[in-house]
Amino acid sequence: MLTELSAFRQDALREIGNIGLGGAVTALSDLTGICFTLEVPEVMELTTTQLHLICPSEECLSVGTVARIEGDWSGEAAFLFPWHSAEVLWQALIGAAPAELSDLNELHESVIREVANIMLGSFLNAISQMTGFELHMEPPAFAADMAAALMSSLMVEALYGQRELLAIETRFCMPEQQFEGFFFFLPDTGNLYRLFDALGI
Amino acid sequence: MPLRVLDVLLAGMGEIKVAHGEGVLGCIGLGSCVGVVLYDAATGKGALAHVMLPEPPLGESDEMPGKYATTAVPALLKELGTPAHALSRLKAMLIGGAELFQNRQHALQIGTRNVEQLHRLLEAHRIPIIFEDTGGHHGRSFELDLATGQLTLRVVGQAPVVHNLAMAMMILAKAS
Repeated sequence: MLTELSAFRQDALREIGNIGLGGAVTALSDLTGICFTLEVPEVMELTTTQLHLICPSEECLSVGTVARIEGDWSGEAAFLFPWHSAEVLWQALIGAAPAELSDLNELHESVIREVANIMLGSFLNAISQMTGFELHMEPPAFAADMAAALMSSLMVEALYGQRELLAIETRFCMPEQQFEGFFFFLPDTGNLYRLFDALGI
Repeated sequence: MPLRVLDVLLAGMGEIKVAHGEGVLGCIGLGSCVGVVLYDAATGKGALAHVMLPEPPLGESDEMPGKYATTAVPALLKELGTPAHALSRLKAMLIGGAELFQNRQHALQIGTRNVEQLHRLLEAHRIPIIFEDTGGHHGRSFELDLATGQLTLRVVGQAPVVHNLAMAMMILAKAS
C-alpha cells in the first residue's frame, strides 16, 4: 500500500496529520495545563513491529481508545498510551491515578475516553476545515491491556474491514514527565483517495 | 518465572510454528486473535497457528494460511502429517479470542467469531479440545512446553498461571 503512494501524497498525509494533531495536542494541553510537544507524523504501514515505539515490551500495560469516524470520510482512529503516560493524564485531570490495573474504575476510564474525545474532535475539525468534509465520530471505546494485544486487535479489525493498513502515526510527548502518546488513523478502503481528491492533489 | 525462554517458538500474527518433542510453542499478546495448538502424542509433534480472522475475505490468496481459521486448521494438519483416519488422536488447545475494546457501537466480535469457527472446524475433524481459555475482555500470552505438557498463561496485571496438561495430552494417545 505504502509503495503505491507517491512521495508527494505521503508528504500531504504527513502534513494533514501535522495540522490535525497539532490541534489535538493543543486541546490536550489546554485541558491538562501541561505543554506537550508533537513529533512530525509518519505515514506508515501498520504492523506490530511498531510496538517497540510504544513500549519496550510487548506485554507492558497500555491504555487505548478507538473510535469510528463516519461521514464524508470514514475510518478508525486510535490513541494508545503506555500506562505511565495514562498516569500523567489521571494525575493532571483528577489528581490521582490508580495504583494498579485492578484499581482502574469507571472514572479513570471516562477520563481517558474524554481525552480521546477532545483530541479526536479537534483532529476531525482540522480535517473538516481543510476539506469541507462533514465528519462525526462515535464515543471512543476503552481498553487497558498488553500493548501487543491492543495493537493486534486494532490491526485485525482493519484487516477485517479491508481498511488500508496505513496509519498516520505520531508521538506526542512531554520530555520531563516521560509522557508519550501514539495516534493511529486507519482510513477505510478508498477513503484516502477521496481525501486526495478533496485536497486537489 | 522467566517471561521468555530462549528457545520458545513464538508465532506472530498469521504465523504457524511447528515443534517436535522438545519444543516450546507460544504467542505473545493475543487480543481478538486465537492461538490454536494441535498436538499429536503418537509423533510428539505440535503445531501452532496465530489465527487473526475466521475466514479469508473474498479473493484473498493463501500466502499465509495461519491468518484465517479455515485455512489454518488444514495447514496445521498438513504440518503434523497425521493420517486422516487418526485425526481424533490429536488434541487441540485454544487461547485468546477476547474483545478488548468494550462498549463499541459497531462491535465486530472478531474474537468470538474466531473461537466459534475453530470449534466448528475441530468438531468436523473430531479433534477434542483439551484446554481452552478464550473470550472475555483481556489479552493473553502463553507458552506450551511439549516435553512436559506445561502450559503457562499470562494475563496483564496477574501472576502467570501454569496448567499441567501432560495427562490430557497423553491419555488419549494411549487409547488410540
